[in-house]
Amino acid sequence: MTILEINNLSKRYGKIQAVKELSLTVEKGMVYGILGPNGSGKPTTLSVISGILKPQTGSFRWFEQGASKWLYRKIGSLIEVPNFFPYLSLCQNLKIHSLIKDVPEEDINRVLGITDLLTRKQSRFDTLSLGMKQRLALASVLLGDPEVLVLDEPANGLDPEGIAEVRNIIKVEAEKGKTIILASHILDEVEKVCSHVAVLKWGQLIASGKVNELLKEDDTIIISAERLDKLHEMLVRAGFVKSIEQNDMEMLVTLADKKTPSDLNEFAFKNGIILSRLEVRKQSLESQFLELVR
Amino acid sequence: MKKLFKIELVKILNYSSFKVILILHFLLFLLVIFVSSQIDISVPGFTMKNLFQFPHVWESFSWMASWFNLLLAILLIVLVGNEFSYKTFRQQVIIGLSRNDLILGKGIVILIVAVYGVVLVLFTSTLFGLIFTKGLSLSIVFEKSYILIVYFIQAIGYMTIGFFVAVLFRNTALSIVMYLLYFLLIEPIIRLMFPREARLYFPVKIISNLTARPEFLTVTSNKPMLDSAGQSSLDLNAIGIAQDPLPMYLTIILAVVYITIFSFLIFILIRKRDI
Repeated sequence: MTILEINNLSKRYGKIQAVKELSLTVEKGMVYGILGPNGSGKPTTLSVISGILKPQTGSFRWFEQGASKWLYRKIGSLIEVPNFFPYLSLCQNLKIHSLIKDVPEEDINRVLGITDLLTRKQSRFDTLSLGMKQRLALASVLLGDPEVLVLDEPANGLDPEGIAEVRNIIKVEAEKGKTIILASHILDEVEKVCSHVAVLKWGQLIASGKVNELLKEDDTIIISAERLDKLHEMLVRAGFVKSIEQNDMEMLVTLADKKTPSDLNEFAFKNGIILSRLEVRKQSLESQFLELVR
Repeated sequence: MKKLFKIELVKILNYSSFKVILILHFLLFLLVIFVSSQIDISVPGFTMKNLFQFPHVWESFSWMASWFNLLLAILLIVLVGNEFSYKTFRQQVIIGLSRNDLILGKGIVILIVAVYGVVLVLFTSTLFGLIFTKGLSLSIVFEKSYILIVYFIQAIGYMTIGFFVAVLFRNTALSIVMYLLYFLLIEPIIRLMFPREARLYFPVKIISNLTARPEFLTVTSNKPMLDSAGQSSLDLNAIGIAQDPLPMYLTIILAVVYITIFSFLIFILIRKRDI
């Protein structure tokens, strides 16, 4: 089932094109990461699909239906900074949210427990630290156990322990079969929790797909051998590599399409060179991302 | 609707500024009616006490209460301005309220505050009327009590324009300044540019004329002097001191029309703009 379908979505702020002809599809059960540098249009995209911004052109559909307040109640969204009434307690703020979502008030204690805020439930929102505010926002998102979570920088303002907790919450929710749309600038975060990723630049989609497929391409292989110069020459002549860098001790290569590290080992062996080291260094999402947006 | 009512109650009952402004409104109104009831200007044939007797007390107190409608409008501006500055309007849309619900929610607050105003006038008018009126009869007590409904419409009118200004400017301080400027300066100046007859049709004029100033001379004189047409010759309008107002029914109709227009403009602004 398609959870979210975005078609040619564009949004402008005056002369600034925040999102340009963006199309993407999120299927049920995906943990979909949206990556992009500052100004790439991530929050704008999430704000449009959350109904708070109006697109200039294009459309989007939730649950293959459209965008109505009834559908939004099946979605837990955290967009930008947590927005709550500063003079109300955590419990009162969540009571408003539970009323809007038609969720029983008893669920408030459950989500405050998950986010470790139960002891502060009577505290005013404006007395919380940034990390606690972010955790309260997550608690609000989890109210009513929604089918879909839309999270924009959920780890903002959290300490390392808090980041790990958020990651754990996302993983637990994903394991329950929920669909999660996650925008983050923490690439490691996306790499660890997302099944799919879309990369935005200047509001345009420049790459998308499964995270492991994006990572599969262009892994770097580190090779050490006695006759490195000879191997270098052979690899280039045979068209075995896309790129090659060599120093006295080792060689860094990226393999040509359809070539595998074992092919490389076999090739060297057949040509009388025994590799003393063959290490596959998976290219991180970060280096992929930087390459894409450069 | 019940859900929106509950949501707005959580917001306002726990907001100290809401309570402070309402208490201020309550105390100021009580102070004014108490002080004015203590002023005893009695000359032969005239007495101020008549203003506090049934049925005139309904008009007198509604008129005095209308002085403080600006305070109720400012309260509404603060509540709506908060929603924009805390970005809670957008948060509520994100979690499942429609934009229409946002308007309805604040509409409910307007009704709650207007009902409070009516109850305040009803309670104080009844109390003062019972104290000051000699020779009570049901017909005298309820005569002119319809003015409470008119006051209710007026309070809604003041707050609806406040709501509109807050949605337009999205900033509490700026909205309050612009609201007061429009009420006290801009519209009165604009009115002066129009012919005398047309001045009565402007929104602020219409809404503020709903609870017209009681005819002091007529009310305070024990025996109103009526001319052959049945009009009091002690009417300030008849004397030429004040401009003739529009008939009450027309003023009410036009006030309702203006409230509808401003509500529609709020609807357009909330629907069409990003929140």
